[in-house]
Amino acid sequence: MIRLLLIRLASTCVLLLAISIAGFALLRLLPGDFAEILLMSQMDGTLPSEEAVARFSAEHGFDAPLPLQYLRWLGRLLTGDFGVSMVTGAPVLDDLELRVGASLKLALAALGLALVISLPVGALCAAFPGSTLDRALAAFAVVGMSIPNFWYALLLALFFALTLGWLPSTGHGTAAHIVLPAIAIATSISGILARYVRGCLLEELSQPYVRTARSKGLSQPRVLLGHAAPNILPAVLTLTGMQLARIFDGMIIVETLFGWPGIGRMMVEALLARDYAVIQACFLVVAGGYAVVNLAVDYAIALYDPRVREMV
Amino acid sequence: MTRIAPARPRAGRARIARAAARHGTGLAVAVALFLALVLAGPLLAPHDPHAADILNRLAAPSLDYPLGTDAMGRCLLSRLLHGARLTTLSTLAVVLAAASVGTLTGAVSGYVGGTADRVLMRLCEGVSVLPALAVAMIIAGVLGLGLKAVILALAAVHWTEYARLVRNVTMVERAKTYVVAAEALGVPRLAIIRRHLLPNILGPLLAMGSYSLSWVILSFAGLSFLGLGVEPGAPEWGRMIAESRNHLREYPRLVLVPGLTIMAFVILINLLGDALGDRLRDGRTNHLATRS
Repeated sequence: MIRLLLIRLASTCVLLLAISIAGFALLRLLPGDFAEILLMSQMDGTLPSEEAVARFSAEHGFDAPLPLQYLRWLGRLLTGDFGVSMVTGAPVLDDLELRVGASLKLALAALGLALVISLPVGALCAAFPGSTLDRALAAFAVVGMSIPNFWYALLLALFFALTLGWLPSTGHGTAAHIVLPAIAIATSISGILARYVRGCLLEELSQPYVRTARSKGLSQPRVLLGHAAPNILPAVLTLTGMQLARIFDGMIIVETLFGWPGIGRMMVEALLARDYAVIQACFLVVAGGYAVVNLAVDYAIALYDPRVREMV
Repeated sequence: MTRIAPARPRAGRARIARAAARHGTGLAVAVALFLALVLAGPLLAPHDPHAADILNRLAAPSLDYPLGTDAMGRCLLSRLLHGARLTTLSTLAVVLAAASVGTLTGAVSGYVGGTADRVLMRLCEGVSVLPALAVAMIIAGVLGLGLKAVILALAAVHWTEYARLVRNVTMVERAKTYVVAAEALGVPRLAIIRRHLLPNILGPLLAMGSYSLSWVILSFAGLSFLGLGVEPGAPEWGRMIAESRNHLREYPRLVLVPGLTIMAFVILINLLGDALGDRLRDGRTNHLATRS
C-alpha cells in the first residue's frame, strides 16, 4: 500500500514538474522578445526603445540563462506569485482565487447531478435490460455524444430562461443561477456514465457469485445493490475521474455562455485579449489541479479495492 | 486489408455474408453522398455566403432563401453548405495529423518497448489527464488563434489517443508468430512495422477514426463558437451560432438550424464508423476462419 502511494506520488510530482516547465515555456515560446512584449503591454502598446527593453530585461532578470529564469519563476510561483495581468496590471492571484472557487462550486454541482442521474438509471437499465428505459438510455447516450454542448446550453437557456422564465439565464449569486449551467454540464456526461454503470453491472450479474446469491433466495434489489454494486465501484470511480476532464471542457463553454465567473470563462477572456500572463496562470491551475485530482482518485480506488493495493 | 474468400459451408453464414454485402452497399452509398455533399456543397449554394442583402435581413424562409437569412441578410442555406466543406477539411486535417503522428509513435513505442515505451506512455498519460479542449485552447492562443493554430492545437492534444491505441495493438501483434518469423529472417525493424504491423493496425484505427472525428468536429465548432479559429463572419457552423445568439428569442431558427446540422453530421459519422467497424470485424473473423 505504502509503496503504491509513493510510486503514484512520485509520478504526480514528475507530472507537476512537467506542467510547470510547459507553463513556463508557454510564454517564452511566444514569437518575439518576451521582455519587449511585457514592456509593450505595460506601456499601452507603444513600441519601447531598445535601451528601455535592455534596462527592463536587466531589472527583471530576463537576461539570465533560461534554466535560472525558470528556477526563479518557479520560486515565485510556489510563494503564490502568479505575476500580473498584462491587460489590467492587477496581480493574477487575486482574480484567480475567486474564479477557482466559482468553478469548483459549478463542477461539484454538475458532478453531483450527473451521479444522481446516472447511477440509478444505469442500475435500473441493468436490472431490466431491453426495457423501454434501457432503449431510451441508449438513444440518449448517442445523442449526448453527438450534440454540440454550446448549442445544447443555448437551447436550455432559450427554453427555461427566455420562454418559461423559470430560471435566470446569466449571472451568479443565488442558488437559481447555478441550475442551468449545472444541468448543461451534467447531462453531457450522465449518458456515458449511466451506460458504463449498466455495462459493469450486467457483467457482474453474469458472475457465479450472483447466481449463488440468487439461489439463496435474495431479491433482485438486494443482489444488485448488496452484491454487484460494491464490486463495480472502483471501475465507476475510475471513469468518473476521467469524466472530470470533460466537465472542465464543458465548463469553458457553459461558463462563457451563462456568465458564470469561473476559471473557464477567465481563460476564454484572457485568450481573446491575448493576456498571456493570465493564460499561463489558468493553465498552471487547471493542469496542476487535474494532476492532483487524478492522484486522489487513484488513492481512493486503492483504499477501497485490496486487489489494486496488492498489484504493485 | 486483403481478404481471403472464406469457405461458407453453412446457410447461416451465407445469410450473414449477404447482410454484410447489403450493409456494405448502403455504406458505400452513404459515403459517396456524404463526400458529394461536402465537395459540391458550395456549388449547390444559391447565394454567396458572404453577400449581405441588407433589405432582406432576418427574412423568413422563402423560395429565394430556402432557410431564410441571418441578421446581416446572408443566406443561411448557402452558409451551411459552405460550412460543410470548411468543417470537413479542417477536421480531416486534424485527424490525419493526429493519426499519423500517433500511429508512428505508438508503433515505435509498442515495438521497441523498454525505456522509450515507458517515457512515451507517461507522456501520453500526462496529456490525457488534462482537459483536452482547455489545453488545445491554450496552445491555439499561443500559436496565434487563427485557423491553422486551432488545427495544430487540436492535433497536438489528440495524437496521444492514437498513440495509446496503436501501441496496445502493436504489443499484441508483435508477439505473434509471423512477426517472430520475420525477425528471425532478419527483416529490418522499420520494414516489419511498415509491412506487417501497420496493415494489421488499420482495423482498430478506422474504428477509432469515427469517434475521433466526432470529437474533433464538436471541439472545432466549440472553439469557433468561442471566437477561436475562423475569422469573424466566416461561414462556420459554431461561429454562425455564436453570431446569432442575440437573436435567440426572436429568431431561434438561426441557432436551431446550424446546431441541428452539426448534430446530424456527427451522428452520420458515428453511424458510418459503426458500419465500417462491423464490416472490418466481419472481414477479420472470416480471415481467422480460413486460417484455422
